[in-house]
Amino acid sequence: MSLEISITPEADNSKRIAIKGSLDSNTAPELQQIIDAEINDTTTVTIFDFKDLDFLSSAGLRVIFKTKKIMEKNGGKFLLVNLQPQIKKVFEIIKALDGMNVFKDQDEMDDYLTAMQNKVKEEN
Amino acid sequence: MNNPSQNLKTLSILNRTADSKKLSTFLAAYISSNNIPGYIHDDLRLAIEETFINITNYAFDIKGAYPVDIEARRTTDTISITIIDSGIAFNPLLDCDKRIENNEHCEGGMGIHIIKSLTDKQEYNRINQRNVFTVTKHYTHQHN
Repeated sequence: MSLEISITPEADNSKRIAIKGSLDSNTAPELQQIIDAEINDTTTVTIFDFKDLDFLSSAGLRVIFKTKKIMEKNGGKFLLVNLQPQIKKVFEIIKALDGMNVFKDQDEMDDYLTAMQNKVKEEN
Repeated sequence: MNNPSQNLKTLSILNRTADSKKLSTFLAAYISSNNIPGYIHDDLRLAIEETFINITNYAFDIKGAYPVDIEARRTTDTISITIIDSGIAFNPLLDCDKRIENNEHCEGGMGIHIIKSLTDKQEYNRINQRNVFTVTKHYTHQHN
């Protein structure tokens, strides 16, 4: 029931946050601290990777939504990838998937990011 | 086997967030030892975590360690978890709108929506100055 968080800096000030274990009332403050330290107005894309997340409660959801709000306020992108069935179910219950960028796996997300980067290059 | 009292297990914890781990361990052991299908576990774990955290956050005006009693029961096709606290009278099943009208808090709105979605029956009673909240989930035995 512990939580492991690994943060991988990616190109163009993007951050991938992989979360393993249980994101609940005991562990959500730990994630919030890391978000506060790592995500700021220079972050262009924040990716939550839930491949190894096996439990999510409303305390964890609040951290996720707060991060999404920060990214939207700063004009950045907020992405979720690799939602396992039990995690997807929680998002569906509270009808939170509408308007979210959710990708079933890495390949699908990579295609999206490549298209996004190409669009930026074309505009410049 | 259908008499729920024969299958009663209890746990007493305190109104502190860290004790949700004990609650989770208790549930897992009860489900395992009573041959209740494992698919019930995830839904019920989340439902009772939301209930318990609501108690730790809001039930007591004066800070302190207060007992929270847990009772698990089963029949051949249902499992029920009852969570009992001696905090302020609080029915989590009242709609948020109603609570706001009554100038009551509604922070747990997302939590109660999750509880209602993941369990088949929810019941609240105020008994002897205590909040008694029970969630019940039906299950069927899966055969390979």
